[in-house]
Amino acid sequence: MIALHKRLFGAAIAFTLAAIGPAFAQPLELKLMAPAAPGGGWDQTARSMQQALVAAKIARSVQVTNVPGAGGSVGIAQFVNSAKGDGNQLMVNGFVMVGALAMNKSPVTLDQVTPIARLTEEIQVIVVPASSPIKTAQDLAAAVKADIAKVTFAGGSAGGVDHVMAALFAGAVGADAKKVNYIPFSGGGESLAAILGAKVTAGISGLSEYEGQIKSGKLRAIGVTSENRLPGVDIPTFKEQGVDLVLANWRSVVAPPGITAEQRKTLGDAVEKMVKSDAWKDILKQKGWADAYLGGDAFADFLKKENARVTDVLKSVGLVKS
Amino acid sequence: MIETFAALAHGMAVALQPMNLLYALIGVFLGTAVGVLPGIGPALTVALLLPVTYKLDPGGSLIMFAGIYYGGMYGGSTTAILINTPGESASMATALEGNKMAKAGRGGPALATAAIGSFVAGTIATIGLAFLAPWLVDVAVKFGPEDYFALMCVAFITVSATFGDSPIRGLTSLFIGLTLGLVGIDKLTGQARLAFGIPELLDGVEVTTLAVGLFAVGEALYVASRRHHTEEKLEPVRGSLWMTKEDWKRSWKAWLRGTMFGFPIGALPAGGAEIPTFLAYSTEKRLTKHPEEFGKGAIEGVAGPEAANNASAAGTLVPLLTLGLPTSATAAMMLAGFQQYGLNPGPLLFAERPDLVWGLIASLFIANAMLLVLNLPLVGLWVRLLAIPQPWLYAGILVFATMGTIAAKPSVVELSMLAGFGVLGFLMRRYDFPIAPVVVGLILGPIAESQLRRALAISLGDPMTLLQSPISATLLAIALIALVAPFVLKGLGRFKANED
Amino acid sequence: MTDSPSRATPPAASPSVDRAGLVIAFLLAALAAVLVWDASRLPAGAMYGVGPGAMPIVVAVGLGLLAIGNLIDALRGGLPPRESTDPKPVLLILAGLALLIAIIAFGGGFILATSALFVATSAAFGRRAILKDAAIAIVLTTLIYLAFDKLLTLSLPAGPLERLL
Repeated sequence: MIALHKRLFGAAIAFTLAAIGPAFAQPLELKLMAPAAPGGGWDQTARSMQQALVAAKIARSVQVTNVPGAGGSVGIAQFVNSAKGDGNQLMVNGFVMVGALAMNKSPVTLDQVTPIARLTEEIQVIVVPASSPIKTAQDLAAAVKADIAKVTFAGGSAGGVDHVMAALFAGAVGADAKKVNYIPFSGGGESLAAILGAKVTAGISGLSEYEGQIKSGKLRAIGVTSENRLPGVDIPTFKEQGVDLVLANWRSVVAPPGITAEQRKTLGDAVEKMVKSDAWKDILKQKGWADAYLGGDAFADFLKKENARVTDVLKSVGLVKS
Repeated sequence: MIETFAALAHGMAVALQPMNLLYALIGVFLGTAVGVLPGIGPALTVALLLPVTYKLDPGGSLIMFAGIYYGGMYGGSTTAILINTPGESASMATALEGNKMAKAGRGGPALATAAIGSFVAGTIATIGLAFLAPWLVDVAVKFGPEDYFALMCVAFITVSATFGDSPIRGLTSLFIGLTLGLVGIDKLTGQARLAFGIPELLDGVEVTTLAVGLFAVGEALYVASRRHHTEEKLEPVRGSLWMTKEDWKRSWKAWLRGTMFGFPIGALPAGGAEIPTFLAYSTEKRLTKHPEEFGKGAIEGVAGPEAANNASAAGTLVPLLTLGLPTSATAAMMLAGFQQYGLNPGPLLFAERPDLVWGLIASLFIANAMLLVLNLPLVGLWVRLLAIPQPWLYAGILVFATMGTIAAKPSVVELSMLAGFGVLGFLMRRYDFPIAPVVVGLILGPIAESQLRRALAISLGDPMTLLQSPISATLLAIALIALVAPFVLKGLGRFKANED
Repeated sequence: MTDSPSRATPPAASPSVDRAGLVIAFLLAALAAVLVWDASRLPAGAMYGVGPGAMPIVVAVGLGLLAIGNLIDALRGGLPPRESTDPKPVLLILAGLALLIAIIAFGGGFILATSALFVATSAAFGRRAILKDAAIAIVLTTLIYLAFDKLLTLSLPAGPLERLL
């Protein structure tokens, strides 16, 4: 069901794209893979890139292909095997893929692809029902330390960013991350209903998803995961409340293995140019995504570190066998 | 209350302008045209056609959008009735009796009762939406995992209505469906089950692949295998093309009952449209005065589920408009539709933008009426599609059926599954196993399992949580009564017979 | 169309053993065994509540009981009468489906793949005008392809024919 409706957004978006301007004579003809069904976050990122790359005349044509399956495990396997050495191909990925690859024991890993750039990120939030006695991150920390089993966290799929965050929170306040009582819900707002109905202690999600509920006072935000307070977000960070929890749900773009340094530079430059284009900035504004551009070796470094961190967390909660 | 009426009246005045009526008509037409393609349900129809509305002013596009939505819904039922290929899982119950009616030359009344039932249910449910939404949503969020599990138990009992003559065969079908439901990543622990190392299987079996395989492909194989027996000649119209007085009499109560199931369950965040359609089907089967017609094309078996389907669609607007929760694929598309007008559904919507909310509700009324205006005259045309020579008819059905899968997931694994399910459907028909319980098992099994396990995780493993929640306890009691009652009644009947 | 005597089944009245029923019972038992085997290699369970292995065992037990039930039914032979079936058209349609999958897998594109299925199916239903049907199929599927690709921008697999459009 969920997969279906995600796919639909994509179809709708694709249609709008077709209406956008003629292609111009440019050297780059890219193939861009979204390793997910049309409509999800990765697909939207891919189609937005397509739109911006063509509108800013960086590429003559960009063809988006969808290879859905198992948090990107199916897509990356195909990408690594069939696009090897092809300097005209890119694939969108993100935080969730790191965990999915580890959990699905994928034979292909993110070490094999050529990192190009991080594009966007979204910060995460922990909320409680308005009626909850928990008011601050310290209250929640105290509850977790008192009896971790009784503090239930609702969020998205097992091993996803919400789950990783629950484990990181427990670890950061000195509790045993292995014992976190995390209840995964399938998307579509099912977890929101469980939080509103006070069936669980707290909920974890990307900030934008619960913003309306927080503003209307039905949910209380306990903290956000950004390093510093973000403009326009009137919620304290975990860091300023003394909980060392910094995390973002990032999305990035990578190239196939085995491309030359020159090809890598061409792709990197194209993406950098795209990020600076007005078309891209408009899209970010329209979708409410935060620009988190990080290119070249800095991104390669970041990817390696996130990979290690997430794999550690998933091992600690027993989702990945060490 | 007064403001509600005033706002609704204002919305109506806007929607009734001639230009807007034309947009509604175009929307319904486009929606029906795309919605009749098998494997393309209302949600995908709306997704595909949404961009068409971008070019209009907000009022007009909202109305065309509503038209597309209702047209798509009706299109899905049309294929279920005419060629036994439900466009989505919610019109599966419609296919059970509807296709039998079409084969018996009563496709006209079946399509008519579906259209009129959709209209009646849509209208009642939209009124419910207008007046009950804020109250209903408070009840809806009180449903926890244990309550959903109890609701699934009720649903499982009602599935037996689709079993046919032999309980053992029905249960066998159901358990095949439950087995298929296990395939893929376990939602609660991320462990792969029955995937045998094939990555494409990790996401589980897609309901539409199974339904199209079992129903459309299986049917084509079965009919082909017995051509030498009876040169099955489909007669598009036998008797009246329209509903007779008798049809009306048998339909109207079913419409109302279907609405009663569809609207409240649709309003639950994890309620869905399948459960109310099956509840409606089994209720009609129990209450009917013509039990001998069930399985051969009973009109109330079309009227009830169709009404439930449409009412549940209006029901999903309750959490969508009041909480911003898209609880179904179609609701998610509605959300996309709202967002193009800068409308963010959520707790503040009714307070901040009453004009647009009431404009939408008025549009839904108008589009619903327009659906009738357009489609009732077309019933005769649709039914004549069945007059296409059999080789081309079935070849076309198979092309359209595989097309849905090719468009959604063009992988060899997925297409092989479609073919495999086709063979399964053929064998099950050949050896007299009912088809519908397989799909029901695939839909309900995973929901029941994950809700039960969520409830147990929250209660730290204490099964008493199922009885401590009043909602769950009540539903479990209903399930128990529904399970035991037939045996008790039979026993009483025998007892009485012995006394005589 | 020929009758296939091999598939002819005994009339309902005779209480002889039903062979298909035996096969069905055996398949259900085998399916139950696969479920148990698959569940046994899952890790012990969740931290709280019930683990991923519980439901497969429940389903497996159910399948096992149903295997016994179907076995009894088969031995009693009280199954509804079956009409003979003609395997040829079934195999023809399945060949069409296999051809469709192969054409898609090897990049032949949507039009060729679905046209192959169309012709195979219509032949299975007794049509012998293969060329005429092929022409109809190609026109029909090209129209579908154009409608989806150009109007709805839903990408269908492209092969040599699609690239000409």
